[in-house]
Amino acid sequence: MNEPLVLGIETSCDETAVGIVRGRTLLANVIASSVDEHARFGGVVPEIASRAHLEAMQPSIKKAVKDARIKLSDIDAVAVTAGPGLVGALLVGVGSAAGLAIGLDKPIYAVNHLAAHISVDYLTHSEVIEPTIALLVSGGHSSLLKVDDITSSITKLGQTIDDAAGEAFDKIARVMNLGFPGGPAIDADAKNGNARAIDFPRGLTTSNDWLTRPYDFSFSGLKTAVARYLESTPEFIRADVAASFQEAIVDVLLLKALAACKESGINSLVIAGGVAANSRLRAQAQERCEKAGIRLRIPPAGLCTDNGAMVASLGALMAAAGRAPSPVAFDADSSLPVATISLT
Amino acid sequence: MTITLAIDTSTSRTCVAVIEGSEILWSGFQDGATAHGPALPALVQAGIKGFTIDEIVVGMGPGPFTGLRVGIAFAQSFALAREIPVRGVCSLDAIAAQINESDFIVTVDARRKEVYWARYINGVRQGEPAVNFPADVAGSPIFADLFPDLLALVQLPGNITEPMYLRRPDAVATADRK
Repeated sequence: MNEPLVLGIETSCDETAVGIVRGRTLLANVIASSVDEHARFGGVVPEIASRAHLEAMQPSIKKAVKDARIKLSDIDAVAVTAGPGLVGALLVGVGSAAGLAIGLDKPIYAVNHLAAHISVDYLTHSEVIEPTIALLVSGGHSSLLKVDDITSSITKLGQTIDDAAGEAFDKIARVMNLGFPGGPAIDADAKNGNARAIDFPRGLTTSNDWLTRPYDFSFSGLKTAVARYLESTPEFIRADVAASFQEAIVDVLLLKALAACKESGINSLVIAGGVAANSRLRAQAQERCEKAGIRLRIPPAGLCTDNGAMVASLGALMAAAGRAPSPVAFDADSSLPVATISLT
Repeated sequence: MTITLAIDTSTSRTCVAVIEGSEILWSGFQDGATAHGPALPALVQAGIKGFTIDEIVVGMGPGPFTGLRVGIAFAQSFALAREIPVRGVCSLDAIAAQINESDFIVTVDARRKEVYWARYINGVRQGEPAVNFPADVAGSPIFADLFPDLLALVQLPGNITEPMYLRRPDAVATADRK
């Protein structure tokens, strides 16, 4: 199967997403989000997300099939996010995918959400970029990974020891009354601010940290520093706080990602996950990678946030590589480690 | 004659049957309050072997949400894949159908020390199912913690299209937070 036609389902958080790819070509990418329903809680409410998934699933599958101009019976395999994520939310996707796969009598790939985030990059070009360092940053995850083969070998170099980068954006946006989700709001506000106005801390960057945990992240100290600054500076300039906070996150993410490239001798970096949609991160990454001679890939912003195309993409890469599908009976795993690319 | 795939995941038992008229061609179940995800596909795959399924009937609850949704999501997608109709019915009614009394109450576990329940008189459910503490459910003999009868499930009339949650998500959401 060189160009397998794969339908992918993603329901790990608040996006009900169905994507269809043929090999490394994107055919459809349908996303129904329940984000508006969570806004008044300042974060994703699992039961609201799960109910919304079930409601949106059938229309999303039908729309994806229509957009892709295929028949459902044409597909070669179904792929679904098995974890990590909210278990109740994941299980709506798992149930739907299993129903499709058994109904169509086609194999199923139960894949890792984090690996899928990276694999979406493969839809945007045809060259082989392995091995590569990957920086995965979203509302639920912040990890540095070494990818030798997206279908069989991903090694975790480090991860956040407290908040995810996107979570820090959400929490700071909340104390600044910028709404949920915080990433786009802070990104927009920061455009009018001075990124050097306030020197917020860069977590885990002491010389000792560089020796003992060079690729781990910490954002809770930054969050506290911003909250204290806001309290102690009633006349604060909102755009400057947003820009300086964002700069602290972008700076530490890129410092560590480029250090990983240098240390491993791998001159390739992929940045994926929802935070990769941040305009400052994209611009800074480009500038710094160019300077360091590192080939940078960041998927288009619309493919960085959770989507079904990424799940379909990983499924198609697995099928094309001849990897064994998953057993028909498998469970969602809320804390699936990134090294487990698919359930076998 | 029509061959029906019957699915219910509204209780701690994942139930699957293949039914033709009043004949059960295949049936199976697996117990486990959090086992619906892996149990249902395995049961269906074993059950449908050799049969051409014409329609699906699925229990829409009430029941614990996560397991309930696995059954509904699976049934809807299977129906879409096969281009066959899917029909939803009340799971409590499929429990009540097994009981030979003129006036009784059926209860099933609703978690958080509550039960989903409904009262049946001469085989007819009295109003919509409700969720209450067991101490507040009384008036007729109570039949607790039984499982749906899938032959009865497929013979129930009507079509319920929304899951019977009976609770707002807000209350559950805070409890689910660790």
